[in-house]
Amino acid sequence: MDIYHHLSSDFIAILITLKLAIVTCFFLALIGTPLAYFLAFKSKKTKPFIETIVTLPLVLPPTVIGFYLIIIFSPETALGKIFIILTGEQLIFSFYGLVLASIIYSLPFWVQPLQASFEKIGRDTIRTSYSLGAGPLDTFFNVIIPLCKKGFFTSFIISFAHTLGEFGIVLMVGGGIHGKTKVIAISIYDHVEQLSFGKAHILAGGMLILSFIILLTLFYFNKRTVVKVK
Amino acid sequence: MSNLSVFLNGKIGSLILNFEHHFQNDGITILYGPNGSGKSTIISALGGFINNLETRIFFNGNEIHDIDKFPPNKRQFGIMFQNPILFEHLSVEENLDFVTKRNQINTQNKSSISKEYLINQLELNSLLKRSPENLSGGEKLRVVLARTILKNPNYLLLDEPMSDLDIKYKAKLLFFLKDFNKKFKIPILYITHSIEEITQIGDQIVLIKNGKKIDSGSVSNVLNRSSFVDLTGKFESSSILEGIVSRHDQNLHMTTLDLNGQKLIVPGLPGKLNDIVRVRIRSRDILLSSSRVKTQITENELQGLISSIEIEKNSAFTELVIVLKNFKNNRKKQKLRARIMTYTLKNKKLLIHDNVFIYVSSVSIDRQAYQSK
Repeated sequence: MDIYHHLSSDFIAILITLKLAIVTCFFLALIGTPLAYFLAFKSKKTKPFIETIVTLPLVLPPTVIGFYLIIIFSPETALGKIFIILTGEQLIFSFYGLVLASIIYSLPFWVQPLQASFEKIGRDTIRTSYSLGAGPLDTFFNVIIPLCKKGFFTSFIISFAHTLGEFGIVLMVGGGIHGKTKVIAISIYDHVEQLSFGKAHILAGGMLILSFIILLTLFYFNKRTVVKVK
Repeated sequence: MSNLSVFLNGKIGSLILNFEHHFQNDGITILYGPNGSGKSTIISALGGFINNLETRIFFNGNEIHDIDKFPPNKRQFGIMFQNPILFEHLSVEENLDFVTKRNQINTQNKSSISKEYLINQLELNSLLKRSPENLSGGEKLRVVLARTILKNPNYLLLDEPMSDLDIKYKAKLLFFLKDFNKKFKIPILYITHSIEEITQIGDQIVLIKNGKKIDSGSVSNVLNRSSFVDLTGKFESSSILEGIVSRHDQNLHMTTLDLNGQKLIVPGLPGKLNDIVRVRIRSRDILLSSSRVKTQITENELQGLISSIEIEKNSAFTELVIVLKNFKNNRKKQKLRARIMTYTLKNKKLLIHDNVFIYVSSVSIDRQAYQSK
């Protein structure tokens, strides 16, 4: 009975983790894509500043980001209050608090590959498309997206894998509440703390295999594209 | 008469632009100048891609410089950028269709340029199903040119389109452009560094240096002016002569021109008898003699009068201007620049107002890719 309970708790953590990764990637596509486009083509003076902000999560300890997010998400702040009005729930320790934190934490992983991909196709491609009569949206959907397929794929895979593996921020902002904000990484930590190495093995091994497969897919796909180009 | 007026003022990087010109609404206008003089910037501004310059553009009586009202995709120019790009996710044919899909209204308006016409003229049939990745430089250029023209533009803007092309194909494409220009009455603005290309297809020419217009006018006139020689340097100094086609030799592929009663033999031209054609003779390709050379050393012997002698300081060279003898008196005087060693000038005792015999090899003469009128 007890064993079953624990298994199902791990299973719930897996579902929450996957849901978090998918929802995060969805919002990253909406936010990170225009940002990558802006950094690749539009910005001039502001570029180093924005690039720095986007890249900060890469270098900061997760606890630093987590700490500030706890403060920003608290029910006393404007953001916290608005969220309570909208959902009747606190942002902190909620699933959407986790999503918001993950978006910030994984933003560089979405923006950087895509920005590089946009920069590679270059301004000339866009000018050519405009001069042939295609407007900006037409150009984006019919020229840029097809030409940057590889960039989008890389951004998605890396961001997805990265979100799966988050620990520090998720623990601080989400609190590891069972059935709500407890993700695989936290479950593993709990198992190890309780010396349940067997259960930790199952989850950790699963993560290892999954991450391996995801990255292998990415590199295999990218290698194949390179071969096709030549 | 002119339907495209451009005024540009401002600073881009280190270049200060202060350019104004009323472009002719027919023929081919060459934009010529050193690297970094602002030629490509002018095309970019016309396309609506530059927003930090004070820009005024009038096209067919409309102000079109407001980028919000006339964004790049709404402008009726066909632009071929210096670095031509094909969309690599589309096949050659899909690249062509990209334009026709987006410019259908235009296509129905005019006695339109059809895809079939371009596929034929530019020999694209075997390329249609291929991916742009596998095209050679020349093939790519033809596809890009076809795609640009397929837009049915009101003005064609070409930024050094032939710079990567081998000579054999260049002649073909230049001929196509000239023919296309006449057939569809679509004016062309053409940037090039090649004096050969200017001679072959240019009607008008605008000289630009450091963002400013230096000179403009017909190719025959401007290329003989010092403003042009200043840009090319003395080494490239040359003269444009006009002659009437008086004889074609089909077997030997050569054409004889009548230059005010004097004969000039050039490699075969496509022009008809009595057409007026233009040829270019480089100053350094001319040999001079104060007396007639008895043995025939070149195909051509012309006679003239030295009208000026300029010994260059600190150099081995002297530049002379020679007025060609006019045996017919029915056409304007034609002048020829010659560049010789100062040593030769002294040795042969050539003086101003002397009669001279001029020797030019036919091989060294540049000619038009078409008949001019």
